[in-house]
Amino acid sequence: MSRAEATSRPRLETLTGLLAAAVAGALIGFAGAAAGPVRGIAAADEVVSAGIPVTRAVMNVAAVVTVGLALLPVLLGGAREKLTRPVLTAAQPAATAAALLWAAAAGAALVLQAVEYRPAAPDVGGYVGDVAAGKALVLVVVLALGMAGLSVVAALRPDTVPAEVRVGLGLFALLPLPVTGHATGWSLHDYAAISIELHVLAAVTWTGGLAAIAAVVGANRTLLATALPRFSTLATGCLACVAVTGVFNAVVELGGHPELSLPAALFGTAYGVLVLVKVACLAGAAALGAYLRAKLLPRVLRHRRTSLATWAAVELTILGLAFGFAVALGRTPVG
Amino acid sequence: MTLRITAVGRLRAAALSLVTLVALLVTAAPAAAHNQLIESDPADGASLDEAPQQVTLTFDQPVQRGAGEDVNQVAVTGPDGGSWAKGDVRIDGTSVTAPLHPLGPAGEYVIGFRVLSADGHPVSEELRFTLASHGPGGDSPPGGQTTAPPQAGADDARSGDDGESGGIPVWVWIAAAVVLLGAGVTVALRTGSDRQ
Repeated sequence: MSRAEATSRPRLETLTGLLAAAVAGALIGFAGAAAGPVRGIAAADEVVSAGIPVTRAVMNVAAVVTVGLALLPVLLGGAREKLTRPVLTAAQPAATAAALLWAAAAGAALVLQAVEYRPAAPDVGGYVGDVAAGKALVLVVVLALGMAGLSVVAALRPDTVPAEVRVGLGLFALLPLPVTGHATGWSLHDYAAISIELHVLAAVTWTGGLAAIAAVVGANRTLLATALPRFSTLATGCLACVAVTGVFNAVVELGGHPELSLPAALFGTAYGVLVLVKVACLAGAAALGAYLRAKLLPRVLRHRRTSLATWAAVELTILGLAFGFAVALGRTPVG
Repeated sequence: MTLRITAVGRLRAAALSLVTLVALLVTAAPAAAHNQLIESDPADGASLDEAPQQVTLTFDQPVQRGAGEDVNQVAVTGPDGGSWAKGDVRIDGTSVTAPLHPLGPAGEYVIGFRVLSADGHPVSEELRFTLASHGPGGDSPPGGQTTAPPQAGADDARSGDDGESGGIPVWVWIAAAVVLLGAGVTVALRTGSDRQ
């Protein structure tokens, strides 16, 4: 294998930490915070109840990778086409596969949630008709398939699909689901809905960008020196957005229960504990990001050898855990 | 090579932000709150001398009828596990009424419900009331329904309050998660380091 081939092939193994952490986080959240069955109301099989958070976690990671790979051409910029073209071409199959996995996982989640909704007589059509989350998942399947289609077109005729269109569609496909999670009963819930959308967009952009850089350009020092500074700026903005919107949503959700004081809600409810764990994940990822930016970035700019891949894998794992806990959080009632 | 942002780059970034903003505004609007129970008759925790003939639950927003027959469910489980709700749930705006068979044994009854919120999100909860003295009915519900609906039969062992996710103990899920995490991180770190 020539050196050019070796450096242009994406290293998808780097993403196993992200995927494993997201599924693990969803499982831990499920084990710790699952709402108990209600007496006398038919409950779904345990495989279904555990399968929902797992498929949702896989779906989220697939979305992260899809958006991240779509973002990559933007991070690399239009310059140095001779260098970027082979790398981006080599990453195309992965982008298509990630989009297809996104659609498949959303479809699986739709079926499982329909079974959970009416265990005695599962009916996907009825679930979509009745429940907002069902409509949202159908929309996600369609949009993710659209992403896969665009990815194929971009691979066949590279200049027909601007990178911004793929990023735009990818981000758009993230929007239907978050609003169907939680919403509180008081006047701030319109702002909470916009805030949670921004939270998801920023988290996916940050994690996806990091995943794409680590997996695709991590071994190419020239391209890394182009993409990493841009990503670093983008990630800092995303981090700030994730923190502000996350805290706002937690306060709105916990504040909607006046019978609980804030410490009681934070430490005494499964919801509050999940919020604290996510804050810890964010702090960990932010610290690693700061280290990357302060210590590794100057070396990357001088095209020097760095341990970036290792640090990025650790940061991706922490972010993956946060995504997993997010799945549990969206399905956990306060109180 | 420095961070030079070209005019084209700036234009592209602006276009991207615009697309995102429009997408956000288009989809963020239809969020609504889940229904919350504001009143019930009998009330949660009530101790009654006379057996109620029906259970009425009142929410802060209208309850959706839904497409299927069993979308909105109210179950009343007696002290011996008998199912005392007649089954036909009536929905009238924000309230849901479930008629009961004449209650029998004294003791704690559990009202379990699941209704479809106005925003399309199912909401479920348990309420309890105590019947102080034996009611007009027999010791078990007419028709001999001594268990909850078939699917819930296997769940009777769970108390529903202990936060456990059922037959499989919590530590199994945690252990599976930790093993998975360890394996994933190991693979990621090994490939990360040997290709520097």
